[in-house]
Amino acid sequence: MAFEALLGNKLRAALSMLGIIIGVTTVIAVFAVGQGAQNAVNAQFQNLSANSIIIMGMFGRGATQSSKLTTADARAIMEKAEHVKSAAGSIMGNLSASYGSESGSYSVIGADANYFSISNLKLGSGRFFEEADVDSKAMAAVIGSDVVAALFPDGGNPVGSTITVGGKRLEVIGTIEEVGSNIGRMSPDEAIIVPDTTAQKSLLGDRGQVMINAQSDTVDNITIATEEITAILRAEHKLKVGAEDDFRIMDAGSMIGAAQSAATLMTVLLTAIAAITLLVSGIGIMNVMFVTVAERTKEIGIAKAIGGKRADILGQFLLESVAMSMIGGLIGIILGHGIIYLVNQVESLSSIITLAPSVLGVSIGFGFSVLVGVTFGFYPALKASRLDPVDALRSE
Amino acid sequence: MENTEIKLEAVHKSYYLANGEEIPVLKGIDLEIKKGEFVAIMGESGGGKTTLLNIIGCLHPLSEGKYFLEGENIGEVRDDFTLAFIRNKKMGFIFQQFNLFSRLTALKNIALPAIYAGIDKDEREARAMALLKSVGMEDRAHHKPTELSGGQQQRVAIARALINDPEIILADEPTGALDSKSGLAIMDIFSGFKKENKTVAMVTHTAEVAKYADRIIYLRDGKVIDNDYKLTSAY
Ligand SMILES: Nc1ncnc2c1ncn2[C@@H]1O[C@H](COP(=O)(O)OP(=O)(O)O)[C@@H](O)[C@H]1O
Ligand SMILES: [Mg+2]
Repeated sequence: MAFEALLGNKLRAALSMLGIIIGVTTVIAVFAVGQGAQNAVNAQFQNLSANSIIIMGMFGRGATQSSKLTTADARAIMEKAEHVKSAAGSIMGNLSASYGSESGSYSVIGADANYFSISNLKLGSGRFFEEADVDSKAMAAVIGSDVVAALFPDGGNPVGSTITVGGKRLEVIGTIEEVGSNIGRMSPDEAIIVPDTTAQKSLLGDRGQVMINAQSDTVDNITIATEEITAILRAEHKLKVGAEDDFRIMDAGSMIGAAQSAATLMTVLLTAIAAITLLVSGIGIMNVMFVTVAERTKEIGIAKAIGGKRADILGQFLLESVAMSMIGGLIGIILGHGIIYLVNQVESLSSIITLAPSVLGVSIGFGFSVLVGVTFGFYPALKASRLDPVDALRSE
Repeated sequence: MENTEIKLEAVHKSYYLANGEEIPVLKGIDLEIKKGEFVAIMGESGGGKTTLLNIIGCLHPLSEGKYFLEGENIGEVRDDFTLAFIRNKKMGFIFQQFNLFSRLTALKNIALPAIYAGIDKDEREARAMALLKSVGMEDRAHHKPTELSGGQQQRVAIARALINDPEIILADEPTGALDSKSGLAIMDIFSGFKKENKTVAMVTHTAEVAKYADRIIYLRDGKVIDNDYKLTSAY
């Protein structure tokens, strides 16, 4: 067909495509932010099982020395609660650690032997400590991947080495496989984990913050288990009826629920942004298409005057609109992914969010923009083709 | 009747403004043009010459009356397929402002109506090339309209009008946008239509151009006031 008669105006083609390119690019980027945020939320909870219960001491008001949460409370819960499968106390604090000339400040976690399995941690090398190490208050440590990288930059196996933590010498008996990003919570990658007895006696003493990781026997029983734990701890701490709890209990369900409702809000927000983006880019595409209407109308007038049938002319314009929109859409997809790639290269951003391209973003951005492009490219041509050639020719 | 190519009977044409106001332009045109005849249409500016030629060229419909093309009344035809066929195969239209596609070469412009006629590429480009030669433009085949003078563009437009070998050539002030020398070159081409037995209707307001015609039809205020107008001997 006489395709080149109507296609070939490079400026018109470029303008028509521009709106589509911008639309597709923006929508892909917006959806990538949403997907990235969703991934970050998921990552935060990946090492938390659904029946986890976390108990922490109170800070400030109401917290007295006598009623402080201790790792011994974990053993009481383990013994007395019916619907608790496991409970492990841990004590946490920050201490400086060094090996050779390397040093840094790290979280020190005093835990019992169950801690590793409850926290879903995987062994990197060496071994985790056992009951016997806890009982003997062994000067042994299991260290996270960031600690390994910082203290042993030469890449040697740290197992068997002696590191200095808070002025005390500890033997590294094992390392933890890298967990990855863990926004908002302390990452095991940056932790030095020692038997809780060791931490209590030699490293942290009263300066440590105690946390108990428990698990209910089934996910359904998490509420009952929470109530049992509350009753046991109130009894252990000898709280009077009516006195406030001197500890806080959080279960995985409510934490995940809160995060999920935050993620849902984010999705709603991003959908709104995407909708506005689409609207704006749609109007842009529309404008560009309408700007060229006069020129197109005149061309249609000439084509009709020399014997072009409506079907011939419309076929060309449809083809032109589809080709232009598709090419624009593809460029937008490439550009959108380019932007995602570039943003992900920015070091300071990568610790907060990693943009993730989503199929939904690509399909919505591409689909909508191409639809708008074709509609507004084709519709004026459809109208012009209904004019008498004389009237179409008069358009300038 | 056998011999009649174009016949109009009591043709009226009105334009309508956006506010619905009617502007009557043709107010009962009767005329007849024979096969192979070269007719010039003259008259004052605003008298309706262009409007009339556009009706003959099926570029817009008449409001009232009858239009016989080779004896067939096509005044009421509104069907796109038929009208496109007539414009494409029966007639070649030449505009004052050339109306070439500015992004196509001379050759492609000329070949375009042949594409609509469904003629394959080799055949139509051969025809287009031959026509370019006949208007003395073979060395400009691959030039775009913007690289051509007005006279050259009009020659390309004439070649385009001829590509499907129509019986009728319609021209609305074909020399109107040209200097007199280029205009004469165009009229040279027109005078050659006679021996190819083409029927020609040409609007002009210049006596110098009109004298090439066999007969002059004179319009005034939407009516034919003279079917065989004679130029004064000064020309
Ligand atoms: N589309 C239109 N709408 C309204 N009036 C028009 C239109 N086209 C032409 N006219 C009017 O019709 C009259 C005849 O125009 P036209 O046929 O172009 O005359 P000519 O070619 O003889 O100069 C003029 O008065 C002109 O203003
Ligand atoms: Mg005129």
